[in-house]
Amino acid sequence: MLPKANINLTIKLYGVFRIDRFKEKHLKFPAGVCVDEVVDQLQLNRQLLGIILINDQHARMTSRLTDGDTLALLPLLEGG
Amino acid sequence: MQILTTDPVKEPFKILYRRCVLDLQTGEQTFTDVPCANLEQVLGGFGRSFQHLAKRPVERAYCDENPLIINTGLLTGSSAMTGMRTYFSAYSPLKQSRKGLPAAIWSAGSGKFGAKFKWTGLDELILEHRSNQPVYLVISHTEQGPQVAVKSAEHLCGLTTHDKIMTLQQQYENAHFAAIGPAGENWQQVLMGAIALSTENQLRSGEDKQRFAGRGGMGSMMGYKNVLALVAQAPDQKKPLTDAVKKVNFNVVKGGGAARLQPIKRGGGGGTWAAYDVMQPFHAVPLNNFRPQGNDLPERMLRENVEKEYALESSACWRCGITCHNYVYEKKQDGTRGEFLAKFDYEPLNLLSTNIGVHDPGKGARLIQACDLMGMDAISLGVTLAYLLAWNERHPDQPLLGGVRFGDYEKIHELILETGRGNCPDIGMGSMRLSQQTGETDYAYHVKGLEIAAYQPETNPGYIWAIAGGHMTMGTYGMLIREGKTDVDSWVDAITRDKLQIVGFDMIGLCKFFDITKGIGTQMVVDCLHSDFNLEVTQEDLKAAVRRAFILGLIMEKRQGYTMDEYALPAEVAKKPNPHIKVPDISNLEYIEQLSQRVWAVFKPEMEQVEKELLERD
Repeated sequence: MLPKANINLTIKLYGVFRIDRFKEKHLKFPAGVCVDEVVDQLQLNRQLLGIILINDQHARMTSRLTDGDTLALLPLLEGG
Repeated sequence: MQILTTDPVKEPFKILYRRCVLDLQTGEQTFTDVPCANLEQVLGGFGRSFQHLAKRPVERAYCDENPLIINTGLLTGSSAMTGMRTYFSAYSPLKQSRKGLPAAIWSAGSGKFGAKFKWTGLDELILEHRSNQPVYLVISHTEQGPQVAVKSAEHLCGLTTHDKIMTLQQQYENAHFAAIGPAGENWQQVLMGAIALSTENQLRSGEDKQRFAGRGGMGSMMGYKNVLALVAQAPDQKKPLTDAVKKVNFNVVKGGGAARLQPIKRGGGGGTWAAYDVMQPFHAVPLNNFRPQGNDLPERMLRENVEKEYALESSACWRCGITCHNYVYEKKQDGTRGEFLAKFDYEPLNLLSTNIGVHDPGKGARLIQACDLMGMDAISLGVTLAYLLAWNERHPDQPLLGGVRFGDYEKIHELILETGRGNCPDIGMGSMRLSQQTGETDYAYHVKGLEIAAYQPETNPGYIWAIAGGHMTMGTYGMLIREGKTDVDSWVDAITRDKLQIVGFDMIGLCKFFDITKGIGTQMVVDCLHSDFNLEVTQEDLKAAVRRAFILGLIMEKRQGYTMDEYALPAEVAKKPNPHIKVPDISNLEYIEQLSQRVWAVFKPEMEQVEKELLERD
């Protein structure tokens, strides 16, 4: 169960992160939550996490989220 | 190789590689143990072959003076994971300066041929002139050392890459094979011929699961030489795995670089194919000749959609723990695997499906299969087809080649086969020449005459400085999407420092997935060289050698007549910015001009220095 929350976030997952999870979901998190806490809450493999976007802007694991943000989490992109 | 020193930097001449020069016209063979002149030559691959090519003024790719150099890297056939690479180098029939001179190029491939070649005792084979008759070469290990035999290849003429390999397999035990397809045999009409390299899986299963050295038309060069195949016959010489290499291999498999390539069921990202998932949110998956439309059409190729209809299998190269392959099969009614179709890798998949308007995975797989069997470079073929389709879309009243359109699978499939058979030189000669012929060059997606990879040029100005293909010789292709970096400083730094290091893998014999983000200047490679060869070399030594080799690549482009205005992205990118691609604009003319000035300010003095050193040495 997600903890009691007081900000609303839209979480978008891509690629392997969608397996057994979701494509897009509105979730509540405690105010002041950082990306890494969301990643851990969703139990995403950090080693596979390549790109973090907050409202379409590149962000970091330590970036803080605010009410109404859209957080997109994408796997690594390394060659082809 | 004979290694008579522990210091390859100060005493490279105490490391000798075994070279055979074969004159295909006379049959004369010369075996030599050649002392290395520098660390680049010790490492091998293009680090060695480009120094050789630099001494040869060649004005036409198809001429007696242009050799085809086949070699390996120091770690090919070693116990280091991914050490399977073979390199083919020559002046390219495909990549050419506007002045009309061919550019030096190399192409690399995995499969087990490279290791077998190394185990014959030969490190390099240089093919001079051309044979009057179709031949294949047998390089074999004997107690007296490596031997090379020239055999008639009449029975191989016209066979696909796979059929050539399977035919030779019946005759040669304990061997692996490199073969061209019909495309390479039709070298006059097809400049983008590739060389197929056999795999254990292919020989065991009988399915066409070969690897390719595709870029730059090395298969066409081999066809010009009238050499249809190579056989490397030697017993396996697996060295006992030392603790040091075992540790390195463990890091390769478990390290971050390989993580996304591992199968999903093992917690990985599912291979290079997964690039679709990452680029689609930016609408940066190439579609209809590199013009993404901001729609969801590319999503038809996402794994989650493909596996509904097709059976998938994760697989790895021989002895490799990175299970990077995704084989696609027809799915039987009971859900089990049916006929093998193709290997889904991001580049061939995108360029032979989404980028030519084909959105059915099975049809995409059939196009990849046709390209592979004919023996063509999937990147050059796919991009040239996309150009043709774009022309036909713009000129319905002046259609080319039957007016084939985006998504017209049947006609495209036939065109691929006909191109391979030599009946469609407009496609076989690549996008640069085709666009020069039509007079509309802006939307031909090549840089310096070589088709770009399946990353939008809007996301990668680094293409401009790649020396032998858009993504594998300049590692900036994912930088904008991955990191969101837009400042010129970051791009100058990446192009002139870290991201050029990717070419080190094309020297030492390792696959890029060994450590794609860091290159070969790492403790892992230092440890392998110490453990397997007792060589003392630092990370800095390795990085410096890779850098010198890269700089030589730029020098050779300059010598072959490339002018500054040829260092540019396809013109359409700046002339008709695509509003659908959701990335910051770093491909406009002002940005590129600024970037170019800064990059050349770094490279040019070094080019002068390296050129001077080469002249003094020679």
